[in-house]
Amino acid sequence: MKLFTRLRSLQARLLALLLVMISVVWVSAAALTWVDTRDELDELLDAHLAQSAALLVAQQEVGEHRDDGARSRGRRIDEEEDDHPGAPTLHKYATRVAFQVFHEDQLTLHSSNAPEAPMSTKARGFATVRFPDGQAWRVFGAQGQAGDVQVFVGERIKSRQSILWAVLQGVLQPLLWALPVLAVLGWLAVRQGLKPLRSLSQALSRRQPQALEPLTMTDTPTDIAPVVQSLNALFERMGGVLDAERRFTADAAHELRTPIAAIRAQAQVALGAGDDDTQRAQALRQTLEGCDRATHLVTQLLTLSRLEAAGGQAVAGVVNLTAITQRMAAQLAPLALGRRQTLELDAPQPALITADDTLTGVLVRNLLDNALRYSPDGARVSLSVSVAKGQVVLQVDDSGPGLPEAERARLGERFFRSLGTTQSGSGLGWSIVRRIAQVYQAQVHTGVSALGGLSVTVIWPVAPDQRAAQI
Amino acid sequence: MRILLAEDDPLLGDGLRAGLRQQGFLVDWVRDGQAAEREIACGNHQAAVLDLGLPLKDGLDVLQSLRRQKINLPVLVLTARDAVPDRIKGLDLGADDYVVKPVDLFELGARLRSLVRRAHGHTQDLLTCGALQINLAARSVTLSGQAVTLSMREFDLLHVLMLNAQRVMSREQLEQQLYSWGYEVESNAVEVHIHHLRKKLQADLIQTVRGVGYTLVAAKDPLCGPVA
Repeated sequence: MKLFTRLRSLQARLLALLLVMISVVWVSAAALTWVDTRDELDELLDAHLAQSAALLVAQQEVGEHRDDGARSRGRRIDEEEDDHPGAPTLHKYATRVAFQVFHEDQLTLHSSNAPEAPMSTKARGFATVRFPDGQAWRVFGAQGQAGDVQVFVGERIKSRQSILWAVLQGVLQPLLWALPVLAVLGWLAVRQGLKPLRSLSQALSRRQPQALEPLTMTDTPTDIAPVVQSLNALFERMGGVLDAERRFTADAAHELRTPIAAIRAQAQVALGAGDDDTQRAQALRQTLEGCDRATHLVTQLLTLSRLEAAGGQAVAGVVNLTAITQRMAAQLAPLALGRRQTLELDAPQPALITADDTLTGVLVRNLLDNALRYSPDGARVSLSVSVAKGQVVLQVDDSGPGLPEAERARLGERFFRSLGTTQSGSGLGWSIVRRIAQVYQAQVHTGVSALGGLSVTVIWPVAPDQRAAQI
Repeated sequence: MRILLAEDDPLLGDGLRAGLRQQGFLVDWVRDGQAAEREIACGNHQAAVLDLGLPLKDGLDVLQSLRRQKINLPVLVLTARDAVPDRIKGLDLGADDYVVKPVDLFELGARLRSLVRRAHGHTQDLLTCGALQINLAARSVTLSGQAVTLSMREFDLLHVLMLNAQRVMSREQLEQQLYSWGYEVESNAVEVHIHHLRKKLQADLIQTVRGVGYTLVAAKDPLCGPVA
């Protein structure tokens, strides 16, 4: 089988398989025929030998009464005139057939190729003997009723074999010329059979990389139909991914236009401020803020695009959400302090989840950043991490203005920004949060906080092996 | 020239307002679609700059509902949506101009002036009335070829009167055109500016119609209007 797999083309493989099978069947048939023929032939020729011997014995017994004198001469039939009416007429097979007739142990009649000594030691029945010249003979011995006539009839075994060979050749020879013919016909048949496969591969190779419309094939054989269906399903999925990608790129480019327009406008205001130093300074400050915002937007876009690129195959290990939340709270605390906001963290115990450390950090950071950003100066933002009933729960509450239900439902739409906010968000934070949560099977819920503002809850399943991270 | 700016982005709105003010525009800034529609319907502005991605009501919806109410205020759409179908849609829904962000502030100013000019049936940035000529782009005034220096408010007042030549403008109408939000308007501000204009130009150029308002002397001079 290894040999077949070495053949690269399906067509060559099928053809080779076909030809080998035909040869095997044919040769087996020939072998069977050979065995069968040999047995039949042996039976037939042995019967002939026995018959000939019986005939000779019968002749001798009749001849005894007619011509006694000839017995003692030990004549050889073919070297004298055929004056002996009892001697059989021998044809071209004479050298292959031999006989001896003994009268009371005296050789009275024999064929020219027969030796003087009895051909077989067996007086009655069949024996296979080897003559002095090395030839193998099949000999049948028979005796007259009185026991004084002993007849041996022999036949060269080689002649039987040559008959067998002739039969075998008759069976095998057609294979020699049939095989090439079968090869050609088989090649054509296989080629015809594989035609749908070839047209499929042609249709695929003709495709432009952007072409994602489904393959349409007429008379698709049932063997190939699943392949075509799978391919079409794949094209559809890829189309969806590409569409999303295209839409995202377009949205992203549009979203970048606004901060750039702002930067440009502010820079131009600064240039046109003339001797109004206050206005120039203000415009320059705003220019810088615009740059920061564009940077923030780009960073968020990159995070999101990396998430999309990773698909569902983001790396996961066991991480401690408590530690991550503490780290992010520490990072963002200066922002809160700058706006006299109170930031509280309630995370009394380690909370292990299966996720990626960096991405979980991004999620926590985005939620906390949103809470701080969209809450007024002096607001309260509280974070809590708890473990209960096989779930790890992160809750972010703020005392900000909160969001009406309709707007909460729209959180996570790319570039959706809540109304009336003077804060410059990218509109991507929630998309990122939702995407990361999706990757790690976490659920995100929003509601009204006890503090008066927005409450966000993220629920992960607890990591299956709690001990793993503690080692 | 008092215009309405509808833009939800704080940074861009601030920059546009400051930049247009530098060019002598009076700018009122609203941050959502409903406010934009309300303010435009009030008719205090000579043109509007409308962002499309506005909260509460999309810019295109605002535009559509304004046009349905037969409000013909020149509207310049300023947006990030740059695809040709978007532009076509915007213009077909009644936008007078369609500008893609980012935009040069001077270009924006020039486009706004052009919109206002065309809305009044003029073709040039030059308005003339007898010996009086004002250049809107340069914000300069000449009387019989002699340059006259006017304050910003005086120029705006003269501009409004010239645009509305042959019509009597009430004191309230003039006030609406002269002051954007956040300015304390003295009750006699318009009278004071008219007084200054009469002193700097010809005394009989601006006439008072008692109990109604003011008008530029159009009847005496049929040539009053834009330069042909």
